[in-house]
Formats: sequence, C-alpha cells, structure tokens
Amino acid sequence: MAVTKKENIRNFCIIAHIDHGKSTLADRIIEKTGQVAERDMENQLLDSMDLERERGITIKLTPVRMSYKAKDGKDYIFNLIDTPGHVDFTYEVSRSLKACEGAILIVDASQGIQAQTLANVYLALDNDLEIMPVINKIDLPSADPDAVAKEIEDVIGLDGTNAPKISAKVGLNIEDVLEKIVEEIPAPMGDDDAPLKALIFDSYYDNFKGVILFVRIVEGTVKAGTKIKTFMSDKTFDVVEVGTFDPDLRAKDTLTSGEVGYIAASIKSISDIEVGDTVYDVDNPASEPLPGYKKALPVVFSGIYPLDGSKFNDLKEALLKLKLNDAALTFEPDNSTALGFGFRCGFLGLLHMEIIEERLEREFGLDIITTAPSVSYIVHKTDGTVLTIENPTKLPPVVEIDYFEEPVIKANIYSPPEYVGAIMELCQEKRCTFENMVYIDDRRVKLDYYLPLNEVVFDFFDGLKSRTRGYASFDYELSSYKKSDLVKLDIMLNGDICDALSVIVHKDKAYARGRAMAERLKEVIPRQMFEIPIQAAVGGKIIARETVKALRKDVLAKCYGGDITRKKKLLEKQKEGKKKMRKLGTVEIPSEAFTSILKIDSDN
Amino acid sequence: MAGIYIHIPFCKSKCTYCDFASFPKEIGKAEVYFACLYKEIKGKAHLLKGKKINTVYFGGGTPSFVEPKYIYGALKLIYTIFDVDKNAEITLEVNPGTIDENKLKVYKNAGINRFSVGLQSANDETLRVVNRIHNFNDFKKAMELLKDYNTSVDVMLGLPNEEYEDVEKTIKEVVKFSNVKHISCYALKAEEGTPMFTKYLNGELLSEDEVADIYDDTVKLLKEYGFDRYEVSNFCKEGYYSRHNLNYWKRGEYLGVGIGASSFINNRRFTNTESIDDYVKAILSGFTAEVFSEEVEEKDAKGEYAMLNLRTKFGIEFSEYKKIFNSDFKKDFESAIKNNLSYLEIDDKGVKIKDEYLYVQNTILVDFIDF
Repeated sequence: MAVTKKENIRNFCIIAHIDHGKSTLADRIIEKTGQVAERDMENQLLDSMDLERERGITIKLTPVRMSYKAKDGKDYIFNLIDTPGHVDFTYEVSRSLKACEGAILIVDASQGIQAQTLANVYLALDNDLEIMPVINKIDLPSADPDAVAKEIEDVIGLDGTNAPKISAKVGLNIEDVLEKIVEEIPAPMGDDDAPLKALIFDSYYDNFKGVILFVRIVEGTVKAGTKIKTFMSDKTFDVVEVGTFDPDLRAKDTLTSGEVGYIAASIKSISDIEVGDTVYDVDNPASEPLPGYKKALPVVFSGIYPLDGSKFNDLKEALLKLKLNDAALTFEPDNSTALGFGFRCGFLGLLHMEIIEERLEREFGLDIITTAPSVSYIVHKTDGTVLTIENPTKLPPVVEIDYFEEPVIKANIYSPPEYVGAIMELCQEKRCTFENMVYIDDRRVKLDYYLPLNEVVFDFFDGLKSRTRGYASFDYELSSYKKSDLVKLDIMLNGDICDALSVIVHKDKAYARGRAMAERLKEVIPRQMFEIPIQAAVGGKIIARETVKALRKDVLAKCYGGDITRKKKLLEKQKEGKKKMRKLGTVEIPSEAFTSILKIDSDN
Repeated sequence: MAGIYIHIPFCKSKCTYCDFASFPKEIGKAEVYFACLYKEIKGKAHLLKGKKINTVYFGGGTPSFVEPKYIYGALKLIYTIFDVDKNAEITLEVNPGTIDENKLKVYKNAGINRFSVGLQSANDETLRVVNRIHNFNDFKKAMELLKDYNTSVDVMLGLPNEEYEDVEKTIKEVVKFSNVKHISCYALKAEEGTPMFTKYLNGELLSEDEVADIYDDTVKLLKEYGFDRYEVSNFCKEGYYSRHNLNYWKRGEYLGVGIGASSFINNRRFTNTESIDDYVKAILSGFTAEVFSEEVEEKDAKGEYAMLNLRTKFGIEFSEYKKIFNSDFKKDFESAIKNNLSYLEIDDKGVKIKDEYLYVQNTILVDFIDF
C-alpha cells in the first residue's frame, strides 16, 4: 500500500471567458490526440446540447479521455473535463475542478482577462489547481499577446511569458499546449490498493444502463462486481461496468486511482445518489468521505406552468428528467388561480432559469408560461414567527407582517473606465451600496457594490449591458439578508387580482413599477369584447390604471365569392392564437404577459 | 336548390385595392376563356344533376366589360343543361362606366334580372384616387338605364380620405334611386400585393376603430332608409336579400366556374386555379382546373354551418339544424354557447349573435368552428 504518482495521467479543465475559444481549443486538443477521426469532428464536440452550441456556452460537464505521445517519447492519458463559463454555474465549475489537478486558462489575445474568468481562476486557485495560461486568437489583427502576457502576470500573478501563444481556430501551436500539459500539470497521486474513494462529479440517466456516475478515482480501484455505497445514501449497488469517455462511454476492466471515468451500477433513480458524494467499497470501506462541494442553493425562483393545463404531468416528467443532470434545479408543485397547476422552481440565476425554460420547450416540446422571477424573502410576522417566502402569493396579510428581510449580494462589476458614471447611476437606481472601486489597469475598473438580489432578477443585467454597450460584466455572490421596506404589488385585470403577476418590490419603487407594469400589460393584452381595466395596487390602494379598449372590428367582412375554406382557415389561425391565451375570469391573457413585465426598463 | 357562380376575370383597369382574379391586360384572351368556360360548365353539369338551380351570379372582374354575347352564351348553355327555376335570381355585376343600352338589351334577352352595381363612392376625387374607371355621373346614367331592374349597389367604407360624412353622402345619393333594393357595404381591406397595401403600411388609411365607427353610423343610416342589415356587410329592403349570397351563408350547394371560382357540392369544397393560362390549358386538355379540393367531415360541417349562419341576422334555427345533422345544436355547441353567452341571443327556436357584436364576431366564431 503506497501512494504513487500516476506519471502518465493528466487531469485538467479549461477556464475561459465566453467566446474566448474554450470549446474550440478543446476540439483541437481532441483532434490532435487523434481521439476522434477528423471526419467525425462535429464542431464543438463537448457542447452536446443544441442549446450549448447555439449560445456558444457550456452548461453541462462532459469529460473526454485522450492519449498523447509526448516529445519525451512517453504515452500520456489526458482527461479533459469541460467547465461552464457563466457565473450561474460556478457550482458546476467547482465540481469539475475537484476532479482535476490543473486548469488551462485561455486568455483572448485581443481582449485580455475578463471578470468571469477571474472569478473562476480564483476558484481554481482555492482548489489548489495548477493554472496553465494559454494566449489564444493570436491570428486576429488586434491581437497583442505580449501585453496580454504581462496582464496575466499583473492581474493573476502567473508568469505569462512562457504561455503558449496559439490560435485554436486555425490550429496554430496546439502542440505547445499538449507539451505544456505534460510539463506543467501535475500528475495525480493515488494508491490503487487503498480503500476505494471515488468523487462523483456528475451524473446522467441512461435508458439502458441506469444512472451513469462520472467519477474521479482518488484512492483505490473499482471494477465490475465491486459492491459500492455512498456516504450520503443507505443503498448498496453492484457495479456492472466501469469505463472511460472517448467521449462516448467505453468499457474498461478497472478504474484505478488518478483516473477519470464512469461507473454504471444499475442505479434506478438519480435521487439515489448525490453529486459531490464519495463512492466506497462495501467490502473494504473507506473511513471518511472526500471533502464535498459547496452545495448550490437556488437563489432565483419562478413559477413554471404548462400552457395547456392538461400537460401538468408532462411538465413534471420533464422537470424530473432535467433534475437528473442538474442537481441545482429545485421544484415543487404550485397552484395559481390564473395559471392553474404548475411548479415553483428554484434556479442558480437568471441564465440558469432561461436555459431550463428553453430546454423544456425544445427538448420536451412543452409550451410553458414562466412567471416573473422572485427571490427568497424572510418575513417576520407580528406574532414573532418567521417565514421564508419565495412566492409573492404566499405572503401573509399585510397586517400580520412586522418586517421583511431581503437577500443582498456582493457584486463585482468590471468595466472600462468610461462607463463608471453610467454604472454608478444605474446602481443608484437599483438601491446599491457602494463598497469599493479599484483600477485594475488603465483599461479596466472593478466596482464592488452591495445590491438587493431583487433588483438583479428584475432587470439589472439588461440595464448594465445597455448602459455600458455590453462592455461591463459582473459576477456576484450572496452576501446577507437585510431588513428592507418591501411591499407586495398586485395587478388587477378587470377587477380581479392576477396572482401570477404579483411581485414584491421596495416601497419607493412600487409606484413607478406599478405604472410601468400596467403600461406594459396594456401593450401585450389584446383587445377583447369588452373594456379591460388594468390596475396596479399596493395593499388594496390603486396606484396606476390603464385600459385595454374593447374590440371594435374583428370580422371577415369580405365575401370572397364562395371561398368558405379561406374564411375557415383565417378563423382557424385566429383560434390558434386564442388557444395560446390563459383565461383569468373573463379576460384572455397571452403567455408573454407574464414575462414581458420583466423587460420594462430594458428600453432605456 | 343550388347556385351557379361564373367568374369573369377581365376589367378595364385594376382598382388599387383589388386582389381578386382580374386581369385588365388579358382581354385578348376572352374568346378562348369563354370557350373553356362553356366547356367547364358542360363538364361539371353532372355534379348538379337533379338539383334545381335558383341563383346564377356573374362576378368578376367586370362582367359588364366583356362583350355581352359571352354572358348570353353562358346563360343559354346553363338553361339548356341545368334545371333552372323560372323565378331564379340571375345577377350580373356591373361597373357604371361599362354599361350601355345595347348591352342591356342583350342582358335582358339572356335573362339577367338583377344587377349589382359597383359604385364604392359618390365622391369623384375618391373614385379617381382608387383608380375606378367611372365617375359619379356615369353611375347616375347607369342607374337611369337600370331603373326597371332590381338593383344592388356596392359602397365601400374606409376609402382613402373618406370620413363618415362622405359615406353618408354616397348612401343618400344611392337611396334616391327607387330600383336600389339592396346595398353592400364592405370595409376596405388593404390586401398584401395591392397598391392600397403601401398606403396602409404608410399609415395613410383609417384605423380599424375609425372604420368601425363609420360602420356603426352607416348601419343606423341605412336602417333609417329601410335597409335592414341581414348579414355583416349586406343590407336590403324587406324581402330583397341576395339569394345567391344567402345560399353561401346557409351552407347551400353551388357550382363555381371560371378561374378562382369555389364550389361546394356533395360535401366537397373545391377551387379553381387563379391563372387564366393554367385554366385554359387544363380545360382544353380535358382536365378540371381545380387546385384545391377537400371533403368536409361531419364535425367540420357542423362548425361551418354555425360559422356561416351566425353571420346573418337569422342566426341558427335549431329545427333546421336538427333536420340537416340529426343532432341537437345546443348539445353539440354547449361550450361554445356557454363561453359566449353574453354575446348571443338565444330562445327556444334558435340562436344569433347580438346586433352590437356582429362586427366583432370572429372572437365568437372561433369557438364555433372548433367546438
């Protein structure tokens, strides 16, 4: 029993800002190592979801195992574990980092280091990873690799002078990267004979094999027949198959310490295991689990309802399936008078929410309605009890509320200096508290603010992007809960409160928000057979009113000869539109009404 | 009981709002077109075998623009091969700028007993703007000629630069002629591909609300002159309904011949090509010129029946529905009725859309086509 260095293995991930070429470099590495025949190369192999390819982002982790013959004449095994780039997915990043010894940091030769990248670099450093900088896109006319190399040194404190200068797009100097991986990324340490400890860093459900666990073997050996258990579950499973990713599953006799691979053990339900947990051998149990991850908690909540009420079970099935691979997604059944039965879902952030929405629509073909996102409030009642409220409709009556607390985040905003004024103005509007401002270099400023999460989920990000022409970026972490003067803003349509449109807002913002929502709804609610008053109310007091006038002309007046078919088709088309509406009392509301109120300030 | 529609796709010049199958430059093809039309009539005769024809309608285009012998020939053929009721309504659409005494003589001999005159507006400036070929004086002359005939006049609402006062003036001029028993008031619709559509895109036309206001006032005005609205856009003196159009709205059978014409016979709806050349080619080669054909299933038939009858002031008569479909209307359309209760007038005998909702009927009808 001895801990040895697994000299021929390199486990690493890639950290990069969106668009800085992470997936492209990953493709080149895979190509160079001959893992996938060039003719089979589909661009951006790692991004397997359509959504990922289209948006150019990575959401899910996909490991790939490659073999590489280095210039020293030896053969190496590379395990590349992809990481998502967006702040919402910090949790997923930390998962993949735990399985690696090193990280390739890609920096765009013309743009330099970006905020998001920095956050992930710190995360990697926290996890004791060796950072290996690579300067990409040197083929661009605006590329300034030497300046970027200096910046790497100034900002992160890493020596950038020896960083490979490459172009992943045209395949320039990729060999340098492969050699550097061998040289700089530490080989994993492990003892094949020690009791098994395998870190589960991801999982997905396979129709034939059951739940597939993505693991990093830290200690010991696992093979078919091993009886396994995890620390957080009571269930025992018999390993049916182990293997590696090429990037499809490829069965192997054993997985030993230092390796990255998968375990299939006829696990029926994803709820039987938890990502971040440690797998051990029942017959030779490890004494304690590996340090787990920081568990991701949802911070943004919204209601998701099927457009067609009868599709409730389909929606439930879809959410369950998404949950299989997305531990951070939470949901529980919910019921709204306006929208019927649906789910209250929790997300890591707005992008996460958007992605879940899109996946439900695309991968599961569901038509859904999403309500305005909310955050989790703490409500102190006059009788001394304390409630956590994620859904405005669940608020107790005003008279029973003593005071509210709302979540506050610490935001780091990175921007070119010329937009500092605009950012400060925006932050002022969004109830931010200024904390600090640092000039990173003459091209970038970092502003630290405390701001209510409530303002972020509304339209902070849109506002930031539009006021800085897209140059600013920001990341945030939950800081604390703070006492706040909040009220519930209700929207009444034709005199009835539409619960799905209720929001919790700061008292000083209620009037402006109420007016903006009423105006917006007036635009999106089509005219109907009768006049529809739209009222915004706080505690029963009307603070804004708009009116959707009654329909005056809605008729196929022309005769069209005897072409009844044409008339019928026109009506059928109209019927389709009507079907996409939700009926609240007598009022028909289009599904976009529920999300349109989010976009109120984005025209500014 | 069945109707026959004959499409004449020729006109002197195209009005700026027109998207019907009509071609001012193709008049040279009239001879061959009518030869084909006659051939088509003969070829389709068997479809209406044993059925009494009680309306014949020449529409266009401008049927009065072509030589009257063609109309005469068509009717003569129809009398020979169909069983035409002796009191049949036989209508010809007329443009006031294209009718004269000689033509009228031929029409009379052919058996035309009703004329539908396209005036659109009594305002010469408006007529010029929309490229009508006649002026108001031409209309007056035409009406003098037609004074002994049952006549319908078309008036348009929402024409460029026209307000209610212009429509009012037009209607007042029209009702002066005692032979006018029927008036159709169609709201201008800017169809894609027409010059009018450009005006619409440029925001030069009245809004839908403004047109609705004009419509409401026009309905009231016509009522004062004894013209009762019996369908969304059609008004008449007591008993002078357009039987041809009523047949459409009652879901009666009809044969349409000529380009773009639609038919409904034996539960099948079919429509001809809108191209003269394709039409000629098909007919001469011994084929039909149909480009669309659809069997109507029973459920759709019920929906159609409701959608069509609800356009009229008569609405749906439960007993007639029962006779046709051997089924109970109120049961079949239970939820559609329930959803629209405030917009419908219901009693033991039948159901109709309340007068004030007739102009916003689509919202109601969509529940009835798919019930």
